[in-house]
Amino acid sequence: MKKKLALLLAGVMTLSAFAGCGSDSGKSDGKDPEQVSSINEDGELEGDITFWHSFTQGGRLDTIQAAADKFMDEHPKVNIKIETFSWNDFYTKWTTGLASGNVPDMSTALVGHVVEMINSDALIPLNDLIDEIGRDKFSENALNEGTVDGNNYSIPLYSHAMVMWVRKDLLEQNNLEVPATWDELYEAAKTLTKDGVYGLSFPCGSNDFQATNFLNFYVRSGGGSLLNDDLTANLTSDLAIEGINYWLKVYNDCSPKDSVNYDVLDQATLYYQGKTAFDFNSGFQIGGVEQNSPDLLQYVDCYPIPTIDGSEQKGITTSNQPIVVWKNSKHPDICKEFIKTLYEEENYLDFLASQPVGMLPSVAGIEELDAYKSNETIQQFQHAEEVIASQIPGGTAIGFEHGPNLQAGLLVNQHVIEEMFQDIITNGTDVETAAKAAEEELNTLFEAAVQ
Amino acid sequence: MLPAIIVVCALFLYPICSSIFYSFTNKNLIRPTYRFVGFDNYATILTDKSFWNAFLNSLKWTVFSLIGQLLVGFTAALALNRVKHLKGAYKTLLIIPWAFPSIVIAFSWKWILNGVYGILPNLLVQMGFCNEPPQFLTEKTLAFIVLVLINVWFGAPMIMVNVLSALQTVPQDQYEAAEIDGAKKWQSFLYITVPHIKVVMGLLVVLRTVWIFNNFDIIYLITGGGPAGSTQTVPVYAYDMGWGTKLLGQSSAVTVLLFIFMMAVCIGYFAVIGHWEKEDK
Amino acid sequence: MRRRQGRVGNAICHVYLLILTGMAVFPLLWIIISSIKGKGELTGDPTAFLPKTVTLDYFKHVINDLNFIVNIRNSVIISLATTVIAITIASMAAYGIVRFFPKFGSFMSKILVTTYIFPPILLAIPYSIVMAKLGLTNTRIGLIIVYLSFSIPYAVWLLVGFFKSVPIGIEEAARIDGANKLVVFGRVVLPLVAPGIVATAIYTFINAWNEFLYSLILINDTGKMTVAVALRSLDGAEILDWGDMMAASALVVIPSIIFFCLIQNKIAGGLSEGSVK
Repeated sequence: MKKKLALLLAGVMTLSAFAGCGSDSGKSDGKDPEQVSSINEDGELEGDITFWHSFTQGGRLDTIQAAADKFMDEHPKVNIKIETFSWNDFYTKWTTGLASGNVPDMSTALVGHVVEMINSDALIPLNDLIDEIGRDKFSENALNEGTVDGNNYSIPLYSHAMVMWVRKDLLEQNNLEVPATWDELYEAAKTLTKDGVYGLSFPCGSNDFQATNFLNFYVRSGGGSLLNDDLTANLTSDLAIEGINYWLKVYNDCSPKDSVNYDVLDQATLYYQGKTAFDFNSGFQIGGVEQNSPDLLQYVDCYPIPTIDGSEQKGITTSNQPIVVWKNSKHPDICKEFIKTLYEEENYLDFLASQPVGMLPSVAGIEELDAYKSNETIQQFQHAEEVIASQIPGGTAIGFEHGPNLQAGLLVNQHVIEEMFQDIITNGTDVETAAKAAEEELNTLFEAAVQ
Repeated sequence: MLPAIIVVCALFLYPICSSIFYSFTNKNLIRPTYRFVGFDNYATILTDKSFWNAFLNSLKWTVFSLIGQLLVGFTAALALNRVKHLKGAYKTLLIIPWAFPSIVIAFSWKWILNGVYGILPNLLVQMGFCNEPPQFLTEKTLAFIVLVLINVWFGAPMIMVNVLSALQTVPQDQYEAAEIDGAKKWQSFLYITVPHIKVVMGLLVVLRTVWIFNNFDIIYLITGGGPAGSTQTVPVYAYDMGWGTKLLGQSSAVTVLLFIFMMAVCIGYFAVIGHWEKEDK
Repeated sequence: MRRRQGRVGNAICHVYLLILTGMAVFPLLWIIISSIKGKGELTGDPTAFLPKTVTLDYFKHVINDLNFIVNIRNSVIISLATTVIAITIASMAAYGIVRFFPKFGSFMSKILVTTYIFPPILLAIPYSIVMAKLGLTNTRIGLIIVYLSFSIPYAVWLLVGFFKSVPIGIEEAARIDGANKLVVFGRVVLPLVAPGIVATAIYTFINAWNEFLYSLILINDTGKMTVAVALRSLDGAEILDWGDMMAASALVVIPSIIFFCLIQNKIAGGLSEGSVK
C-alpha cells in the first residue's frame, strides 16, 4: 500500500513539474495567439471580445454598457462581454490571469501597471488607433506614460489631477486667504486645528502610498523629483529632507495622531465628514462629500497645490486613466473599433457626465462643448473644474516625470516612504538617518526588480 | 475517492514543489526568465532585520491570540453547557463574530476605534476616562494588543462551537455513574470531560495555530503591518515581497521557511495528540 | 447545599455569557444601526448610537441598483453545495478512517493538515492554471471544487476527532442486534456525532461564504460573482459611500447567522431524534 502510494505521489509530482514547465515555456516564448482577421466574408466585424473595467459604480458602469450595446447593434456579429473588478482587485486579477491565460481582450488599467504589462510583453501597440482619433488631441504627457520605443501601448480615456481641497466656510470664519505657499498652508491649517476639526491630516499608513504622494507634491513643487535621472531613489536631497520635515510639522501640529496609519479612504472620510479643513485629492472628492455629507457640499472648493515660493502651480500629479488591448486577444481590431466609439462625442459626453468634475476629458475640444459645460454639477463647481483642468496638462503619475519606468511603480507600491515616516514618528528616528535608510532600501528594491 | 485524492494531491503538491524550486531562483512573478541563485534568497532573508522582527511578531501574535481564543471559547462553551435557559439565543448571538468576513472585521473595527470619528474613543473621552482619544490602532504596543483582541473576538466563537459540540457528545450516563459514586463536580470534569474532549481540542489547536500564524488579511487590512513594522507578521512580510516587488524567488523562500517551521510545530502537536490517543486505549 | 451552589454557578454563567454576547453583538448591531441612519447622520456626532431618522434607502440601493441580490444568490448556491458535498464525503471518510483503516487514515489526515499550512495566495496561480485546463474557469462548479479541496481535508480532520469519541461498544451492541454497517453508521453513529457535524458544517459554510481570493480570481462574470467580491468592489471604489458599505456588510453577515440557526435547530435536532441517548 505504502509503495503504491509513493509511486502515485512520485507520478503526480513529475506530472505537476511538467505542468509547471509547460506553463512557463508557454509564457516565455511569447507567441502571439492566432490573430485572424475579424472581418467576415460579408465585410462585417465578427467575434466575441471581453472587456474588463473598474468602473464598478452605477453611472459609469451603465454608460459603458450602453456604448457596448450600441456597438453590438451596429455590428450584430460582435459580442462584447463586460466584466468589472474594483481597482484594488484588478491587479491580483491580471497578474494571476497572465499566468493562467485568463486575461481579457481589452481592459482599463492603472498607469503604473501598464509599464509592468509592457514589460511582460502582454499588450499590443495602439499607434494606429491614436492616429485615427487624432494624436494631437491627446496631451503629450498622457501618451508618453504608456509609450516605449515609440509604441503607444495605452490610450487615456479620462483624466484627473490632484488638487488642494478647502472648506470655504472655515476659511471665511477665520479670515484666512486660500494658501498659495506651503508655509501659508501650514499656518492656515494650524489655525483651523480646533473645535474637533483638524487643519490637514497627513496620512502615512503602510498599506497605501499616501505619504509618497504628499512628499512628491512638496518635492515636485520645488522643481525636484523623488527619482534621479538615472532612476535611483532620491530622498536625501535638501528639497526632500525639507519636504519630510514639512510633513512631520503638519503631522505634529495639524493632523490627528491616528493618521500615522491612515490609508486613502481613512483620509478622504475625514474630509467627507467635515473633520479636516484641507485635503489633497482629485475631483472625485465632490462625489464623496455629496454621498456622505450633503450639507457640506456648498462649502467645498479646490485650488492648485501650493508651491514653495508662491509661483504659479502648473500641475504635479495627473492620472490619465488608460485603456489597453491585450496581446492574447484574438480580435484586436474589434477592440480598437470599439474603443474608437467610446470617444465619439455622444458616448464620451455621457461617460464623463456620470462622474462630473471627477472625470475630465483626455481629448482636446470636449471642454468647449455646451453639452459638457451645461452639466449641473460642472456648473455648480465651475471653479473647481477649471482648476483641475488647468492642472492636468502639467502633471504626470508619480515618478513618471522621467517617462514610463518600473521604479516609479516600486516607489509607490512598496510603501518604503510610509514606513520611513512611521519610523520617524513612532520611534523618533533622526530624519536624515531615516531618509538615508529608506533611500538605500528603495535602491536595493529597484536593483532586484529591474535586473 | 482515489481520483479525488489525486486531484487534491496534485493541486497541493504542485505549488509546494514549485515554491521550493523557485526559492532557489531569481524568478519574478510576471516575467518568464529566471536563473538559479543557490541559497542567495535564503541568505538575504535570514540576514534581513525586518524578517526577524516579523517572525517575532508572528510568534507573539500566534501565542497570545491562541491562548485568548482558547480561554474565551472554552469558558464560554462550559458556561453554555451549564445554563438551561436562553441557551439557543446565546449560542446564536455569540457566533456572530465568526460570520464576519475579514474586510467587514477590518472596516467596522477601524471605524469603531478611529481616534477622530470612532464611537469608542469618543465615548471614553466623554465619560472622562481619558483626556485625549486613545490611539487604539496607531500606538505601537496598543495596536498590537488591539489586533490580538480583535482576533480573539473573531476566533473564540469557532472554538466555542467545537468545544460545545464535543461536550455534547460526552455520554451523560458516565456523569450519572460518577455522581452515584460520589464524585465531586470538578472530579467528573477532570476525569470524564477532559479526557473525552481532549482529542478534539488537540486537533482544534493544531488547526487554529496554523490558521492564526498564516492569517494575513486581518492585520493587513487593519494596520498594514504598521506603525513602523510593529504589527508586521511573516505573512504580511511575504505578501509585500511577493506581490509588491514581485520577487517570487524571495517570497517563495519565505514561504518555504514558514512551511518548515510550521511542520516542526505540527509534528510536535502530533506527538502530543498521538500520546493522548494511546492513553485512551 | 448542592442546589444553591448550582444556582449561584448558573447566575455567574449567565452574567459571563451576557457580557460576551454584548461584545460579540456590538459591531453587527452598530453596522445595522448605521445602515439605517438618515443621510449625513452617519458622519455627524460619533457618539450618537441611535438614529434620529430611520431610512432603508441604503438597503434598497444596494439590493436594487448594485444587484447584490444576484451575488447573494450565487453565494448561497456555492456555499450550500460546498457544505453538503463536503460534509457527506468527509463524514464517511472520517468514519472509514476511524473504524476501518486507522493507521493509514491517521497518516493521510496528517498529510492533509499540512496542506493547510500553505498560504492560499501561493496556491492561487496553480489553481487557476488547473481550472483553465479543465475548462472550469468562470463557472460555479469550478469554484465549488476549489472550496471542496480546502474544506474536505479540514472537515475530515476535525470529524475524525469526533468519531473517535464514539465508544466502539455502542456499535458492537447494535451490530449484535443484527444491524448492518450502513445502518449502524446512519442510525447509531451519526446521531452521536451530530453536534460535531453541525460544527464542521458551520465552519465549511462560513468559509465558503466569506472566501474572497479564489472567488475573485476564478470568476469573471459579474452575474456569477459572490458577495465577498461584490463587497470589496464597494470598498475599492474612488468614492466611498459608507451607508452603502454598512448595508452591504449587514447583508453579508446575516445569512451565515441564519444558516447557523437553521442547521442548529433542524439538522441537529433531526439527527439526534431516535439516538441511543
